Amino acid sequence: MKATRDWFGDGLVDVAAKHENVVVVNCDLASATKTSKFKEAYPDRFFEVGIAEANGIGVAAGMAQDGFRPFVASFGHFLTGKFLEIFQSVGLNDSGVVLVGTHAGLAIGKDGPTQMGLRDLALMRTLHNVEVLQPADGVETRKMLEHVVSHDRPTYLRLCRQPQREVHDEDYRFQFGHPDVVRPGEDVVIFTMGGMVPVVLDAVDVLADTGLRPTVVNASSLPMDHEATNELLGAYRHVLVFEDHFVKGGLIDEVGRIVLDLDRHLRFHAWGVDDYGQAASPEELYERYELDATGVANRIRVATSAASADSDRGKDTQR
Amino acid sequence: MTASTTYLDSPPADTHPNLVDDEFELPYRLAQIGQLANDVRAHLLKMIHLAGSGHVGSSLSCADLISVLKFDQMDASGRDVFVLSKGHAAPAWYAALMVAGELDPEEIGTLRRIDSRLQGHPDRKRLDLVSVSTGALGQGLSVAIGRAQARRMRNDDSSVYCLVGDGELQEGQMWEAITYAGARGLANVVLLVDYNRSQNDGTLEEIVPLHPLPEKFRSFHWHVQEVNGHSQLAIRDAINNARENWMQPSVIIAHTRKGYLGPGEVLLNGSHSGVLTPEVYEDAVGYLERTTV
Repeated sequence: MKATRDWFGDGLVDVAAKHENVVVVNCDLASATKTSKFKEAYPDRFFEVGIAEANGIGVAAGMAQDGFRPFVASFGHFLTGKFLEIFQSVGLNDSGVVLVGTHAGLAIGKDGPTQMGLRDLALMRTLHNVEVLQPADGVETRKMLEHVVSHDRPTYLRLCRQPQREVHDEDYRFQFGHPDVVRPGEDVVIFTMGGMVPVVLDAVDVLADTGLRPTVVNASSLPMDHEATNELLGAYRHVLVFEDHFVKGGLIDEVGRIVLDLDRHLRFHAWGVDDYGQAASPEELYERYELDATGVANRIRVATSAASADSDRGKDTQR
Repeated sequence: MTASTTYLDSPPADTHPNLVDDEFELPYRLAQIGQLANDVRAHLLKMIHLAGSGHVGSSLSCADLISVLKFDQMDASGRDVFVLSKGHAAPAWYAALMVAGELDPEEIGTLRRIDSRLQGHPDRKRLDLVSVSTGALGQGLSVAIGRAQARRMRNDDSSVYCLVGDGELQEGQMWEAITYAGARGLANVVLLVDYNRSQNDGTLEEIVPLHPLPEKFRSFHWHVQEVNGHSQLAIRDAINNARENWMQPSVIIAHTRKGYLGPGEVLLNGSHSGVLTPEVYEDAVGYLERTTV
């Protein structure tokens, strides 16, 4: 069990050995974002800008324009808070910066909503040339890092604080935008990403004796490939989305758009965080927002049984 | 081109080499830059006139700064970088590119037109003669610092020039960048402040004054020079001095007039958002023609 931010810290040192253009721009959070290992290994390629994310983003954009592949790491909430700077210096300039937003979702716990990355996806999804990535485990973090250093497009890498178990084996092949089926099933398909992937898998295990066998998709890179997702959706009647993010603007909207474009009736239910969040332990928070295994299992059960009781209403959407 | 050209037998105007200061050559060189700066003013006025909108005063106030950089100080092979952080002065940069022969004057009527390379604010994805896309104020210096840092890592001794407006210095990110460059001693950064003392809603004095600006920069460990931003000689000397300083980033605080056309001639009384009516335009063009040899 290890957090994706830790896998990132290790993996970054590995890819930097092969890719000399990889540099880090740090905003006084090297220990929390795990770029401290890079700092030790490559002190000459580590640039500390201090608690000045807007400047850090701009400096990284300039370095990217001159051929480097800079990783700017901070809490996702702080980094994407500088959205005007990201829009212009990174997006519009098409600067090959990798924005690394850690502490995604509620998991920062007791520090509360001023530190929680709960609306970062909503912002980053609006920039059409930015790749948004959130790995589900160590294997995927490493594969994603290899992908990230293989090109020079603007990138947002969303990472989690909480330790997670591995859901992929070593021969997993990361394909950008492609829906990654981590649990094949039938009738119901659940899309989720990052720290929610093992939670949803646990919830599906809880439901095993009810006869429900949902398919679980790790939607770890956005924008999703519409064609591949449409093809996948063909086999299902219910589409569910769970995410550790505000209900607006994130994965729910990404999947919802694809479902709306389909010329077919599908039942769509989605859940995320529907207020600003609050301070409490991560366990209490995930329970309160029903984004722990028990909450997710209940929601799957209720959504699918309500749907079968009222099967002719066509598309219905919660939130 | 001019009588002095024949007399001095100087290099042709379309190559803009960095000249070694020479008591014999300098007066010619300055006269030449002055003429080119007038050409820049004429081009940018025509561009804005044809577009029907654009920041006349802000483009004119930095025309001399841009002309000295482009025609005299920037490396002719294109190694140096110029970041126009005050992106609303884009017409001044496009005009300089046209006068330098790098941009087709045929494009002069395309400013702010659909699908044009000459966007209202500079866009590097549409025009590769723009190094950094700007527009929302306060961001250019950070990007310039990144470019400078990248060059330093490669032992590349080229310079990165960044032009900001004075009102732009009210943006917080500017001071993040100023703090950082000063702390790191990024000497290959040269910042030019177009200190025209006027912004959208009034004068800086009325909105939020910046003085004492030199002291502010000094306390952030910058090398500071103050110049008359319409004296090509003063600008030229200051840029040379800035490059000579290898310990600190340099700022050139250039005192300018919004709408400056020439000595004693200020368009629209220095207004930020004055409209370039056909009459005002014709008068200005007439003035520039009279002062061009």
